[in-house]
Amino acid sequence: MKTIIIVLIALYMSACSQKLVRVMPYEKEYFAQEKMSLSPIAEQSEQEGHVFLIREASAGGNSSFQGGCGCR
Amino acid sequence: MKKLISIVLVSVALFGAPRVGDKAVEFNLPSLYDQTRFVKSKSLHGRVILLNLWASWCSGCQEEMPLFVKLQKEYPKKKFEIVLSSIDNEMQGALDFLAEVDKEKILTSLYDGDKKLPKTYRCPGMPSSFLIDKDGKIVKVYVGSLDEQAMKELKEKIKVLLGS
Repeated sequence: MKTIIIVLIALYMSACSQKLVRVMPYEKEYFAQEKMSLSPIAEQSEQEGHVFLIREASAGGNSSFQGGCGCR
Repeated sequence: MKKLISIVLVSVALFGAPRVGDKAVEFNLPSLYDQTRFVKSKSLHGRVILLNLWASWCSGCQEEMPLFVKLQKEYPKKKFEIVLSSIDNEMQGALDFLAEVDKEKILTSLYDGDKKLPKTYRCPGMPSSFLIDKDGKIVKVYVGSLDEQAMKELKEKIKVLLGS
């Protein structure tokens, strides 16, 4: 019984510890900024896609969505 | 053992976020348009309130805002009032957005730069809206943006709360 109580108290206390830092939805202002997106400059990513197409002779391989094998 | 359980329960009740049926959190926040003018939640008692916690960087908040403007126009503020609380780090973003959407400044817009309200309510998502009755009790919590269908349901709830 004592062990359960100790474990419960430890769990309860750990909820207040600084280790469990969680970014709350209302704290995501900086994440919402355009510069935080994976491809912040649309024109640039389009250009990169074009270069990739010429270099690899395959379309769509510059992302994880398609394999770029040209088999589809 | 009973004591321990009651201590845990009391502390959870004390530190838990307000839920439906609980009293809404009291606030005293400055107006977004005039920093010298503060609005106390007590001054809003006696009317049905829709407290909306929003930010200009939140796309869901931007989507529902025109619907709020439309909704507020349907009711006199003495009976039903939409209270916006912006949690932007810099209020200019909120001002710029509202200048486009709420040109007539029909919505009561407050500024909560310290994010006291979302912290107290422990908002699980943005935007979050709280429908509060005339007695200051939370009737319904909306997490996420409200669409046309949700607005219809909200209107029904307002109707019931206003007793009309």
